[in-house]
Amino acid sequence: MTPFLRKFRILFSTQFALMTEYRAEIVIWMLSGTLSLIMMLVWMGQAAAAPGGQIRGFSASDFASYFLATWFVGQLLVVWVAWELDFEVRQGTLSPKLLRPLDPMWGHYSGHVAEKIVRFPIMLVLVSLFAWLAGARFSLDWRVYAAVLGLVVLGFTVRFLWEYSLGLLAFWTESSTSFQEVVWLVYAALGGLFAPLAFYPQWVQNIAVWTPFPYMLGLPANLIAGKATLEQAGQGALVLVGWLAVFILVRLMVWRVGLKKYGAVGA
Amino acid sequence: MISPPPDVAVQVRDLRKSYTVHEKDPGLMGSVRSFFNRRSHEVEAVKGVSFDLAPGEVVGFLGPNGAGKTTTLKMLSGLLHPTGGTARVAGFEPRKRETPFLKQITLVMGQKQQLIWDLPALDSFLVNQAIYEIPEAQYQATMREFTEVLGLEGILKKQVRKLSLGERMKCELAAALLHRPRVLFLDEPTIGLDVNMQESVRAFVRDYNQRFEATVILTSHYMADVTALARRILVIDAGQLVFDGDLASLAEQSSGGKRVRLQLRQPISLADLSRYGNDARIDGLSAELSVPRSEVSARAARLLADLDVADLTVEDPPIEAVMAELFGAGREKAAESVTGSVAASVA
Ligand SMILES: Nc1ncnc2c1ncn2[C@@H]1O[C@H](COP(=O)(O)OP(=O)(O)O)[C@@H](O)[C@H]1O
Ligand SMILES: [Mg+2]
Repeated sequence: MTPFLRKFRILFSTQFALMTEYRAEIVIWMLSGTLSLIMMLVWMGQAAAAPGGQIRGFSASDFASYFLATWFVGQLLVVWVAWELDFEVRQGTLSPKLLRPLDPMWGHYSGHVAEKIVRFPIMLVLVSLFAWLAGARFSLDWRVYAAVLGLVVLGFTVRFLWEYSLGLLAFWTESSTSFQEVVWLVYAALGGLFAPLAFYPQWVQNIAVWTPFPYMLGLPANLIAGKATLEQAGQGALVLVGWLAVFILVRLMVWRVGLKKYGAVGA
Repeated sequence: MISPPPDVAVQVRDLRKSYTVHEKDPGLMGSVRSFFNRRSHEVEAVKGVSFDLAPGEVVGFLGPNGAGKTTTLKMLSGLLHPTGGTARVAGFEPRKRETPFLKQITLVMGQKQQLIWDLPALDSFLVNQAIYEIPEAQYQATMREFTEVLGLEGILKKQVRKLSLGERMKCELAAALLHRPRVLFLDEPTIGLDVNMQESVRAFVRDYNQRFEATVILTSHYMADVTALARRILVIDAGQLVFDGDLASLAEQSSGGKRVRLQLRQPISLADLSRYGNDARIDGLSAELSVPRSEVSARAARLLADLDVADLTVEDPPIEAVMAELFGAGREKAAESVTGSVAASVA
């Protein structure tokens, strides 16, 4: 094992132990992330009332499948690192971490990954329950799930990096977490959390395809719901890799400049 | 890896730091005004400090609140960038925070924890072992030593948040020294601890210093820490170094002179005693007074000749008194404590 992997493995197992401590909080937190489920009910109601029981080719059951899938994927994309950074910068607990010979980012990243793994089995139970209640139907092709996993790992990492960069704004401003809320709104809208992207005006869609959002949330959800192809998954992955490169650089830049600022004004 | 020059562990030259502080008047109008027009001024926290530390040296870094101690230690550990002057620690420029530098230093700041709150301390130790790439055998050996000296037995597997302040501080210290740093910056390591805990932290630092010949800079509010650990004292006041020397010569800075303690066979009045020196006190047959440094032997001889003395000792004033005098703080507080006074018996 390379030294880096060794470090990551220890960080991960420690964070895993920590997240197991927080399992009750995680369940409550998951249940509070119910926007998808509410949107599901809204759209199912609309479809049931529409002539022919469909809106743009989506039946009530299609909506159930799509929104449950966005809920599922959204759960895997949850990132709270901006809050952690804001807190650490403000409380000065970043300082001891800066004196250790490892970028503090890895501790946060491993914590997020560990939390996802604790979250996963609970998600499976809940999504099965909701799917049964709402009459959702999911793809049975294992390749679809492999593609979803790939997109989710890429998408999560991209989101983690932009949230990390936003969190680092705490070096300059006391309102870094409010930027994060604006960005969340764009992510949720273009990612397809309120409605499938195909339901938006064409010009919005034209802009959205250049952003990472549809490929990390809407695309995997459509794959699970059986409304997207593996070829589209491949294209989406390429776009995400591009954005990954962009955000790796952005994060690094903000980090470097931020440390200069931190070193000047003090912890 | 660049090895440090053998004769200096820490080299500080004309080190300076000023902070930019933004002003804001209180209240709503103050907020509105500062939103449009941010007034700011510079605070010079450290104003040109220079000193060298030899490897293995332990120094006490003293000074009143706001003197610039923490700022200096943060610059030496690389957290803060100096606005002037240079610092070299173990041969490195701290602000670059290179890995080989970080592996040789540690900074312990009072309550700022690096321990993971909701897990046992042992988990944090394992994380540090991995991050610092500490070989397993060395990790085991270090843990054994630390467990013994700090008495960590039985607290390592408890959740950190369930530990007492003292237990947590011990674990904090152990975590901070697990990688066996060669240069230690300890900022108020005993603050808020009870006397026993203070003593065990002191014993630990002393033991570590001897075992690994580590260089230690220690700030503390408790003079006992400093007198127990450090032979050399640096005193900083308003950002400037006002004293650099050993404990005894710091005491000589005091104009109050030496403290003479008497055990008498016959009672004496305060007025009579006051003829021999200042600040006289009497408690039954015990008495004490201050005499000018240059006249200690003459006055002691006179006291012995004039009075019926059973025992006479001459002491340096307690370091608290010296510090209080240097910084003009209340004398009562200084007189309260006699910890760490350097006693020299004459009679
Ligand atoms: N981050 C900061 N921003 C502005 N001023 C600061 C900051 N940190 C410390 N100071 C000021 O610098 C001076 C020295 O502080 P410090 O180094 O903490 O002193 P000490 O540790 O000796 O009590 C004080 O006047 C303090 O108010
Ligand atoms: Mg301080």
